Amino acid sequence: MKTRTDVTAPASPWGRVTLWLALSATALLPNWASAQIRIGVAEALTGNAAQYGVPIRRGLELAAGEINAAGGIHGSKIDLVVEDEQGKKEEAINVFRKLIFQDKVLMLFGPTLSNSAQASNPVAQAAKVAVFGTSNTADGITSIGNYVFRNSVTEADILPVTLRVAAKNTGLKRVAVIYGNDDIFTKSGYDHFMRALQALKIPVTASETFAKGDVDFKPQLTKIKASKADAIVLSALVAEGGPLMVQARQLGITLPFIGGNGMNSPRVFELAKEHSDYLWVGSPWSIENPAAENKRFVAAFQKTHNALPDQFAAQAYDAMYIVAQALKKIKPTGRLETDRSALRDALPSVQWNGATGPFKFRQVQGKDGKPAGYDAVQTPIVMMTKGNRYVIQK
Amino acid sequence: MFAQQLVNAISLGAVYALFALGFTLIFGVLNVVNLAHGAIFMVGAYAALQAVLILELPLLAALLWAMAVTALAGWLLDKLIFSPLRARRAPHLAPMIATIGLAIAVNSAIQGWFGAENLRFPTATLPARVLTFGAIQITQLEIQIIVMALALMSILFWWLHRTHAGRALRGLAESAKAAALLGVPVERYFRATAVIASMLGGVAGVLIALYSNAVFPGMGQPMLHKGIAVVILGGMGDIRGALLGGFFLGCAEVFSVAYIGSTMRDAVAFGLLFAILLVRPQGLFGQAAQRRA
Amino acid sequence: MEWFSSFWATYSTLTLSLGTNVLLALSIYLTLSCGLLSVANAAFMALGAYSAAVLTLRAEVPLWIGVCAGAILAGVTALLIGRPTLRLSGVYLAMATLAFGEVVRIVILNAEQLTGGALGLNGIPQSTAWYDVALAVGLTLYVFLRLAHSHVGRTMAAIAQDETATELMGIDIRAYKLFAFVVGAGVAALAGALNAHFTFFISPNEYGFDRGVEILAMGVLGGTGSPWGAVIGAVLITLLPELLRGLGDYRPLLNGIVLIVVILYSPKGVWDLFAASRRRTKTVLAEPDSRTLTR
Repeated sequence: MKTRTDVTAPASPWGRVTLWLALSATALLPNWASAQIRIGVAEALTGNAAQYGVPIRRGLELAAGEINAAGGIHGSKIDLVVEDEQGKKEEAINVFRKLIFQDKVLMLFGPTLSNSAQASNPVAQAAKVAVFGTSNTADGITSIGNYVFRNSVTEADILPVTLRVAAKNTGLKRVAVIYGNDDIFTKSGYDHFMRALQALKIPVTASETFAKGDVDFKPQLTKIKASKADAIVLSALVAEGGPLMVQARQLGITLPFIGGNGMNSPRVFELAKEHSDYLWVGSPWSIENPAAENKRFVAAFQKTHNALPDQFAAQAYDAMYIVAQALKKIKPTGRLETDRSALRDALPSVQWNGATGPFKFRQVQGKDGKPAGYDAVQTPIVMMTKGNRYVIQK
Repeated sequence: MFAQQLVNAISLGAVYALFALGFTLIFGVLNVVNLAHGAIFMVGAYAALQAVLILELPLLAALLWAMAVTALAGWLLDKLIFSPLRARRAPHLAPMIATIGLAIAVNSAIQGWFGAENLRFPTATLPARVLTFGAIQITQLEIQIIVMALALMSILFWWLHRTHAGRALRGLAESAKAAALLGVPVERYFRATAVIASMLGGVAGVLIALYSNAVFPGMGQPMLHKGIAVVILGGMGDIRGALLGGFFLGCAEVFSVAYIGSTMRDAVAFGLLFAILLVRPQGLFGQAAQRRA
Repeated sequence: MEWFSSFWATYSTLTLSLGTNVLLALSIYLTLSCGLLSVANAAFMALGAYSAAVLTLRAEVPLWIGVCAGAILAGVTALLIGRPTLRLSGVYLAMATLAFGEVVRIVILNAEQLTGGALGLNGIPQSTAWYDVALAVGLTLYVFLRLAHSHVGRTMAAIAQDETATELMGIDIRAYKLFAFVVGAGVAALAGALNAHFTFFISPNEYGFDRGVEILAMGVLGGTGSPWGAVIGAVLITLLPELLRGLGDYRPLLNGIVLIVVILYSPKGVWDLFAASRRRTKTVLAEPDSRTLTR
């Protein structure tokens, strides 16, 4: 056995081999320049979007805490640098810049809203720092570039499945649609619903809109009632969706609702109470999913925060674990640029089975046709609300 | 469908009128555009919610509690902000900017304290009965809101026109200097107006929180926009105007959704506002702007 | 140099935002100095941003052509609605301009084909450089300062002080008001166009009531007595959240409190604190405080 290292060899060849193996082994051990792995978290912690940003932060922190308690990544602990982007586009840009250039993080999670992501992710892409969104589902985000990742399954993938399962189970023939037309998330959801409805050849009897912050939906609902639909497609966040469901029931509308991603939240039970039944949603995550990983996550979250987790927390939790898998695979050199690129290169091939089930990435095309960022590949679970629970449907 | 939409319009109009009453009172008497009225409205809602959740009070008691809390808020508003600015003869806009700052601060404090999520009143407290008259559905709560808006307006109107104090207030609104010369204790009346207006805002907050099943920070913002529109339509500082402006806006919104399309709802409402301002700036009931002494 | 490039990487967006906020504050200063309480500047900003962005995205024109197109569109719109609207005064004018602003926002929201609607415009080329903003700010500030001390400026101050008297002296107040309104609109559009080109993405919601109120706050907080007041107001409102970053959740709370305290302490705006000492030595005709907004 030849050894290339110039070292005083022990007397026997076996000793040389052992020494060589031992030395090679130490070279293979990753050693992080600092004892901590710095990861940025840019989420909306104040402002209207805080109701989504705060659960995301909790999910990330829960996962990071578990990983660190189990020994970290090859002995180094994950250090989350958390900043508040307030749900505002300019703040998101400023916060990204601070985390990337001042705090020198290895990669970052966020931002909370799709609106902000479109403005801030190009900054990360240009600086060659991986950015991982856990709640951005609108179009035009991962197409920004190959440093953009997300594990939030897009509405484009979920809505057709939801519609198909709901149609099969309720026998609906025609639907009415109502959506928020001033928010990128709900408007994008509406576009995807329409495409899916056309593909399934389901006619739309009425199409109504509302704005964020509205308290009264009765004019729109009255029109929908008069249009004789079999079900109501609802692209809304739970803040408007909950009251809307209540008012529909108060107007005597007994039709089922088919909701987008925004309606998958246990808060719909608090907001709509006895009127919360018959809402269909599809999501990669269900609190009822009996899989072991999910049960562990729900229990851990409940123990730490004394509240049930929602989809935002679950996806953030899994996202942290996905990044941890990638971190385990790379060899840190201590040079920031190299490590950042290495992390980005290690992410696309990660496969993980977490609270949201089996997960892997799929690369998408950019606006110029070249390969760009990475979307999530996960099978949605379709559920219907009944008796204050999300009951899984097939 | 028209009948149901009409009912929708009236109940929505009552909601808007309720909010606008307090707002127009402060403008009419103190001459301030109180952009913190939305925040006070929100404080009323949270106060009632906490009374129900923590003190386990029945709804009526919670409403009175909310009125007390917002009355205090109004008192502080005048004592700490409006009064000092009056004493310094601040320009017209200064109190308005201060109320902007106050609204930001209060919103943030409430969010920091109670969290950003929507909260709601426990089901047991809600008057939830739905009444059906033929093709029309209306909830018990909506009827109560309409009655309350009419009742409050009538009480205010009677008070302003039939009592000595009320007449003094109207004189004060017309000209503070003249009122002072006639012996009206001007500062005390200003303070009382702020208190009453804020109490009205608190009542509106509780009722609308029940109506929409949602209590959340920043719930006052969209109402503020609508409130401004109502007050312009009805005439600034005019009580009847607030009520009729509220119903007018409610009808405009509901019928534009019903017959034009919901996407254009706000465009119609504001377009109407713009048109009215050009043709009759004093609103339906206001006096034409006079030179102030 | 190393320090600077690190500083710039972190704070470039903030600095450019500061520049465009100064422009916005100046645009409202001009209208306030003529006694016009207009909150339509957010809408004009939107017009500038969207027209420039649509042109650079779809027609691939260079930045300054888009900016000029935006400013011209805003100016023409201001001219058209200015005539009927400027007959109103005081709070009525404010409400009319507010309503106009909302209508613009909703039209942009619904004109999906052109503007992308709620989804906004994405991928705007990042063509604004620091010298574009510096040039715009420098030029506007210089022009406004000259204007303030010129015949035109003094006439506007007179209109703000007492319209009837000024009109009796034979001044065409309508023309002066329209001038202030249109130029203010153009400057706001300039700010909007430049802003769009360093933030990649615009959507109708950022040009609504909140933005209009923020611009107004900048103008009044800084003080309406001089263009420098606008600069001060913009600096305060832009940098305060950044300075308070360490406070986390309670940052907006302190933001609001600072606003209240400043106004209580100096109701005519921060600039007034500086102007107070100079006032005593100036003659009546050239008094800066005649520009502050009275009843």
